[in-house]
Amino acid sequence: MRNSARLVALLALCCAPSLLFAADRDEASARAAVLARFDAALHADTARLDRLLADDLDYCNFQGECSTKADYIGEVKSGALKYKSIEGQVDEVKLFADSAAVRGRVSATATRGGVERSIRATYLAVLAWRDGRWQLTNWHTTLLDLKQTP
Amino acid sequence: MKMRRTKPRFPALVLATFAAATMISGISFAKDDARDATLRAAELKRFEANVNADAKVLGELLDDGLEYVHSNGELDSKQSFIDSLTSGRRDYAKSEASIETIRFFGDTAIIRGKARVTVIDQGTPRELHIGYTDVWVLKDKQWRMTAWRSARLPDSPVK
Repeated sequence: MRNSARLVALLALCCAPSLLFAADRDEASARAAVLARFDAALHADTARLDRLLADDLDYCNFQGECSTKADYIGEVKSGALKYKSIEGQVDEVKLFADSAAVRGRVSATATRGGVERSIRATYLAVLAWRDGRWQLTNWHTTLLDLKQTP
Repeated sequence: MKMRRTKPRFPALVLATFAAATMISGISFAKDDARDATLRAAELKRFEANVNADAKVLGELLDDGLEYVHSNGELDSKQSFIDSLTSGRRDYAKSEASIETIRFFGDTAIIRGKARVTVIDQGTPRELHIGYTDVWVLKDKQWRMTAWRSARLPDSPVK
């Protein structure tokens, strides 16, 4: 009996932190993870970005150039990439077993390498479900203001 | 007379575990390679089907929930994308793709690559150089593309 009580106490102790910080693997948490990333980038909160971005992140900007998590956080940390404003919205979330694909739109003004630019774009964010939370593992932006079709 | 077999058992157990682990990892690598090859082939087949406006092949390779965002930001569904090709409204004359990475996440995979696409725009061929990301999902044992996103590269003739 005493052993059982100990086991229960031990389990409770082990599980308590994960229960406290656990998020549900659902559409709302995926949406929140994407919006939290916008907020962290705007405030150059690199500690938060470190938690929200997956180590294997492929971050592809509106010019099709892709960078790693370390590169992206490094640019934000050094101020080489500085966001003045970010207004993001989520249009669609598709949930899969271990990932989610999020489509949305974003308007942002940022200075990169000393040049300020404002863009209006649509994005695809792929989130991976790891350690009980969503992490951004792929980001791809497409500009919305291109006049030339096709 | 008692036989003591405790000692010989340990190396045998270690050997068996090692052999099993090697076999399992070998099978796993082979499985990953096969998955990679299958998806790579499907991706190239899809690019070819775009050029051929092959509704049958596209019908098989595209997911019903497809969101196809073109490099100019236009959004197509599976049906509207296939219709645009078969009607000739969208005409891909040539498509050369180079796959850069394929990453698997359980029942999904992300492909990132570059492509040089020649489109016929009101009778005039125009070349686009794009960087793309697409997401594939495994349904009924078949990979289907469920999201496509591209951006025009700085060296693209059509900006």
